[in-house]
Amino acid sequence: MARIVNIALNTFRESIRGKLLYIALVFGAVMIISTYILSPLSVGAAKDKIITDVGLAFISFFGVMTAVVTGSTLVYKEIDKRAVYMVLTRPVSRLEYLVGKFLGIMAVLVLMVAIMSVLMGIVVVLGGGSLTGGILAAIFLSILEMAVICSIVLFFSTFTTPALSFFFTLCFFVAGSLSGDLRVFAQKFGSGTMKFIMDVFYYVLPNLRLFNLRNEAVHQVAIQYSDILLTTVYAVVYCAVIIYFSYLVFRKREFV
Amino acid sequence: MDILSVENIRKSFRNNFSFGKYEVLHDVSFFAGEGEILGFLGPNGAGKTTIIKIIMGLIKPDSGSVRILGGPVSDRETKRVIGFLPENPFFYPHLTLGEFLIFCAKMSGMKGKSLGSRIESVIEQVGLAGQKEKRLSGFSKGMTQRAGLAQAVLHDPDLLILDEPFSGLDPLGRKIIRDFLLELKARGKTIFFSSHILSDMEALCDSAYIIREGVIVRHVGLDEVFKMGEGKVEITARGYPLGLDGEIGKFINSEERLGGETFIVVNRQEYVRSVIQHLLNNGADILKVVGVKSTLEEIFVNEIGLQVTESKNGFMGKKKVAERKEKIWQG
Ligand SMILES: Nc1ncnc2c1ncn2[C@@H]1O[C@H](COP(=O)(O)OP(=O)(O)OP(=O)(O)O)[C@@H](O)[C@H]1O
Ligand SMILES: [Mg+2]
Repeated sequence: MARIVNIALNTFRESIRGKLLYIALVFGAVMIISTYILSPLSVGAAKDKIITDVGLAFISFFGVMTAVVTGSTLVYKEIDKRAVYMVLTRPVSRLEYLVGKFLGIMAVLVLMVAIMSVLMGIVVVLGGGSLTGGILAAIFLSILEMAVICSIVLFFSTFTTPALSFFFTLCFFVAGSLSGDLRVFAQKFGSGTMKFIMDVFYYVLPNLRLFNLRNEAVHQVAIQYSDILLTTVYAVVYCAVIIYFSYLVFRKREFV
Repeated sequence: MDILSVENIRKSFRNNFSFGKYEVLHDVSFFAGEGEILGFLGPNGAGKTTIIKIIMGLIKPDSGSVRILGGPVSDRETKRVIGFLPENPFFYPHLTLGEFLIFCAKMSGMKGKSLGSRIESVIEQVGLAGQKEKRLSGFSKGMTQRAGLAQAVLHDPDLLILDEPFSGLDPLGRKIIRDFLLELKARGKTIFFSSHILSDMEALCDSAYIIREGVIVRHVGLDEVFKMGEGKVEITARGYPLGLDGEIGKFINSEERLGGETFIVVNRQEYVRSVIQHLLNNGADILKVVGVKSTLEEIFVNEIGLQVTESKNGFMGKKKVAERKEKIWQG
């Protein structure tokens, strides 16, 4: 455990000293603040709703992008430049290494989301809205979504290049956001095989729709905390399975 | 017990542009006993780094086994007692030297209050005092090499595996590291290192393995290195008819004329007087008389150079290398 924490802390430190995080953060901040500046253009009553809606979307978008970019380059660079030798030749298992990397990236993402959320909170209050439990829940689920994406990108980065990891993970992201719809669609109109394929997709791909509570937050629909708990369990299990698959690949890997 | 035993390792890499594979290590075996410094010598591309990576478990051999203190390298306990310096090391660039060493120490399972002072003293030993707060991205090649050595010895391992530890070091740095390694040896540590720098090998090793094209062609003990030249004397002379034969010829190892000067190597010390007498009688001027010390370099060049000329006469396949190896072990 101490070793995992050590790797995670090191990953965190490396990342926050790199440029990437700042770029993402500055962009995110600018976007969120711009919603405040642009919101007067919208029609009166909906103003705070728009700020909340767009703000949450930006947090999710920049978080996911940071997860994909960091995840696809971090491990790859470490292997490519051989920094990984320093870790793997010490009494550390390759699983511990991967878990440490994952947690380190997640720590970075949580920090980033926290900063953007505070900014958004300020903007929402200035725009006349109020901070609700719904907004917090939406942000929390956003982070879970980032975790799922992070585990997927980590899986790809154990055996392929950053560009391909990036591409594959984005495919997963898009397909994962649509898989629920596609399944419903197939069940209504598709043939038998089509239904079967969509069922497989539905269970293999992460069901990212579950992590989207933004509409509920904006329209202040009452949230079911039991749903959030279930979604959390789903995310944790999904991440664990994917990280274990990554380990199965990584275990066999040669570092030439 | 052997601290390190490498037995019958074979390894091939995939050809990039075709489906074939080519073997880069052909049945490599060697051993290191406790408290030994073992050198690993070979031309570029001989397979030194490949075997070191296999020892460290970074790549897997096609066949054969590596045991460290009797256990496989994949064991956590085994890894705890090894220190490793890779070829051209690279570390996390955003960390400072101090942060990096703390990270390494913790990864090796070290903890507690003594950690700080241990790190200080290791930094001192590799000659990086005062650089602790500096980021590794700002380190020069030699400084990186020293940092690499620091992380390798940090947890006081019993076995050190070093891939070209002297590359990029200035003369002072080399001396510091040499002395440091000798000190570790005095404390009973086993050291295995590869290098091209023969003088470092001579200064440090108990014995050296010479590898060429993935085959260990020779195991030279260092006393052997000195013995080979023992007692031989080289006389430089001028102005006598070439060809020392007959009675005197028996004392002569070689006679070579270069320009106006002739270099004569006499077999043994006690013959020197007679040979000089003979030369003087034949009207020669004696220019110089020196004792000969055969160096590792000579052996190396001999071993490698010989085979290079051999392969000029046709491609020397694996079989021939194997035959040659056979001969060496027998001879
Ligand atoms: N990843 C790889 N893929 C294919 N071939 C490789 C790979 N790594 C090494 N080789 C080949 O294996 C052989 C041995 O390489 P190795 O790096 O072990 O040599 P070396 O003795 O360390 O050389 P040097 O003194 O230059 O460091 C070379 O012929 C090299 O081309
Ligand atoms: Mg090498």
